Amino acid sequence: MLNRLLPLLITFTLVAAACGGSDQLQIDGLAAEINPEECVDGSGKEVTIYSGRTENLIEPVLEAFACATGISVQVRWGSSTQLALLIDEEGKRSPADVFLSRSPGPVGFLESKGLLGTIDDSVLNLVGEENRSAEGSWIGFSGRKRVLVHNIDLVPDAELPSSVFDLTEEKWRGKVAIPGTNGSFVDWFTVFRDQYGTDVAAQWLNDMVDNDARYYPNNRSIVEAAGRGEIEMGLVNHYYNYQEVAAAGDEHRARNHDLDDNDIGSLLIITAATVLDSAENSEAANELLAYLLTGPVQSYFTNRTFEYPLAAGVQPNAALPKLSALEIGSVDFDALGGGFEETAKIIEASGIQNQ
Amino acid sequence: MTQTRAPRELRVFGLICSLAFAFPGLYLIWRNFTSGADPLGLLLANETLEPFWRTVRLAVLVSLSAAGLGTALAWCTTRTDLPFRRLWRVLLPIPLVFPTFIGAAAFIRTLNPGGLANDMFGSIGINETPELRGLFGAWFVLTLFCYPYVYLPVAARLRQLPGSFEQSALILGDSAPQAFRRIVLRQISGSLTAGTLLVFLYTISDFGAVQLMRYDTLTRAIESNYLARPPMAFALSLILLIFAGLVVLAERSVSRRLPEVKSRRASQPMTYMLGRWKAAATALVGATLVFAVLAPTAALVDWAADGLLRTQRGGRPLTIDPSKVIEAATNTLSSSVVTGFVAIMAVTPIAFLVGRYRDRIGRMTHSVVIATFAVPGILIALSLRFWTIRSGFFGDLLYDSMALLIFAYVVRFASLAMGTALVAVKTVPDGLHDAASTLGADRWRRFRSVDLPVMRPGLLAAGGLVILSTMKELPISLIVAPIGFPTLTTRIFGSFEDAFVAEAGIMAVVLVCLSALLSWFLVLRRADHL
Repeated sequence: MLNRLLPLLITFTLVAAACGGSDQLQIDGLAAEINPEECVDGSGKEVTIYSGRTENLIEPVLEAFACATGISVQVRWGSSTQLALLIDEEGKRSPADVFLSRSPGPVGFLESKGLLGTIDDSVLNLVGEENRSAEGSWIGFSGRKRVLVHNIDLVPDAELPSSVFDLTEEKWRGKVAIPGTNGSFVDWFTVFRDQYGTDVAAQWLNDMVDNDARYYPNNRSIVEAAGRGEIEMGLVNHYYNYQEVAAAGDEHRARNHDLDDNDIGSLLIITAATVLDSAENSEAANELLAYLLTGPVQSYFTNRTFEYPLAAGVQPNAALPKLSALEIGSVDFDALGGGFEETAKIIEASGIQNQ
Repeated sequence: MTQTRAPRELRVFGLICSLAFAFPGLYLIWRNFTSGADPLGLLLANETLEPFWRTVRLAVLVSLSAAGLGTALAWCTTRTDLPFRRLWRVLLPIPLVFPTFIGAAAFIRTLNPGGLANDMFGSIGINETPELRGLFGAWFVLTLFCYPYVYLPVAARLRQLPGSFEQSALILGDSAPQAFRRIVLRQISGSLTAGTLLVFLYTISDFGAVQLMRYDTLTRAIESNYLARPPMAFALSLILLIFAGLVVLAERSVSRRLPEVKSRRASQPMTYMLGRWKAAATALVGATLVFAVLAPTAALVDWAADGLLRTQRGGRPLTIDPSKVIEAATNTLSSSVVTGFVAIMAVTPIAFLVGRYRDRIGRMTHSVVIATFAVPGILIALSLRFWTIRSGFFGDLLYDSMALLIFAYVVRFASLAMGTALVAVKTVPDGLHDAASTLGADRWRRFRSVDLPVMRPGLLAAGGLVILSTMKELPISLIVAPIGFPTLTTRIFGSFEDAFVAEAGIMAVVLVCLSALLSWFLVLRRADHL
């Protein structure tokens, strides 16, 4: 079979090579929107990134960074959880300089293992105190807000609740989806415990289970199911519904509902950047983090990927739900310590995963 | 059977293989010690037992239905005058290539309430749509994803079996079903049990489908504890692996009692005239393809088409361009085809050790190779990182290399080829062998001129299983691949994670087309010429 496939493979490879670029770095599309300038010559410096943020969202930013600074960028894409496990396994010899995480959980894991280095003060000061670690081990670079996604044909606007605590009412029996074991939900629930105490948070989750809340594995599947009308509503990150609407327009029948400003259900969860303790290119790594927090990149995040900007005075895109006071950084995330382990136990014990 | 002692080189090779394939298991044991895990304590805890029994229940159900469906499809497409047999043979292996994380989501998109089928039937007044979820949903979807594990090896076997026994049985008055039960079932039993074992092991290790169907199994418990409670994740994984090992041993003790059927390539298989059963057989094959291939592909095409139309109308532009798709497709194709070849080369000697020489090392290696199939891909990936980073110069050499990626894929999937290769070895008639050696042919020449021609259909089916499975592999492709080596599956994952459904849909359609192309090569260009 090889002798038949080989010519095919070679053709494919040649075509792919022909489509690849020349030596001089040139960028276009979204990357050029972020950095409209001519690319500077290669500086010989490089930085290796393990990115739990996906290629579709971040690659234009990294291309613009390489173009603007002449620093060459290597990326391993993956899920934040798996990349955190990989860094733990690689330990001191990890080739990674920077880890970008979709949510705080995997960062907390690496911090507990002592694998995170310290970010330069000049970079840390680019965001407000509430969006960075007091020890300087991580920094937020964009945000995703918790919202209640709902099917507009099944749940009239007027009836929408204003707090997650309303969802335990009989009225919503069997109608609320919860991504019980998903990373962002686990992070949210950990903050919930920190704000209201473990008893209140655990009681809420148990009440939700008693109220026949429905388990779904992740945000995307809830937003998709709400769009079809399989479920009335669900607790998710705001971000996914924008993508579904961008893809299917009015055919997608779900919209985000912003809960009360002070409700825990309106929490902003940051995506975090870290420099690893073992980083060999920590200077370039800090340059990258600083670049993520520049105006053009923050504008890109809010206008192109519908996330919340955290720095450079950039205002959130007008289409996003209004941002309230409650942000994850305003909670002392570092002090939660074994918070995630305890959270996992409570969630497991609630039985939500069998709903 | 000639009971000669295995050549020493073969035994050494077997030993090396069993070590190589034991990497993930040894890593798991090591991690259980270093993380202070307590697998024994967990064994009887409720939080283990409940998901464990759910896992077992699902695996048994899926195994039974996939075995039945796979065998029926294999028989219909190889032994009957079913119309369009060649087309069916190209299409039937395709479900192997759907990564479950998007395949199951596509099923849901098509079949669940408010989905594509609902829209379609709604317009003719049918509005009742069952919701695929829980045990039923997981069973349904996994049966459709897994039947090729049985279908491919059994079909390869059926095409090759001599029809003479069946003919005699029919002449002596057996009905066709009787002949099937008394003759054919015995002849294919080796391939059937080997394939069913793979279905069982795949089901207990699957995460993508069960989580989307919201059926809580051990893999979900493992997955959500990796960061929060690593000792628990490691302990549960070890329990899963030990259970898989026990199942493999049980299968072996069953399959040892199965009859061995020799064959020659010259023999002409039977072809049954379906007559009035033709409609029913066509319906079976058609329905399987509608549900297993068309249903998920419809959702993928829908996602892809929406995205393409949107860009035309000036909506959000796609984040991928043709060069990215071609790059990923090339990587996918080259790495999976190489993996297929390496896997066949790795398992064939082991199959000889077990099948021809009944060697103890061979039997051990065989079990290790197959049980490894139940280890979740992420643990294989992490274990390879663990070992390379600790093995000095050698590790540095391999780190971030294609060789390591292929090795990881082979460890993950060679099991798929193992059972089929073993059956292939056992089919070679001893008489032929003895004759060849009497005539003075050396071992290598005997292998080439006697063994290989008889084994080829089985080995090709085995290679096909490995290639199609490698194309969809996710965690190893993300974690072990050299930096800057995207595959279709990694790009589909990245897009789908952030709900870029159009991009994911386009690349998944490309993946399905590639698999159809490979299947066409395997089925039409080769196997039929034998």
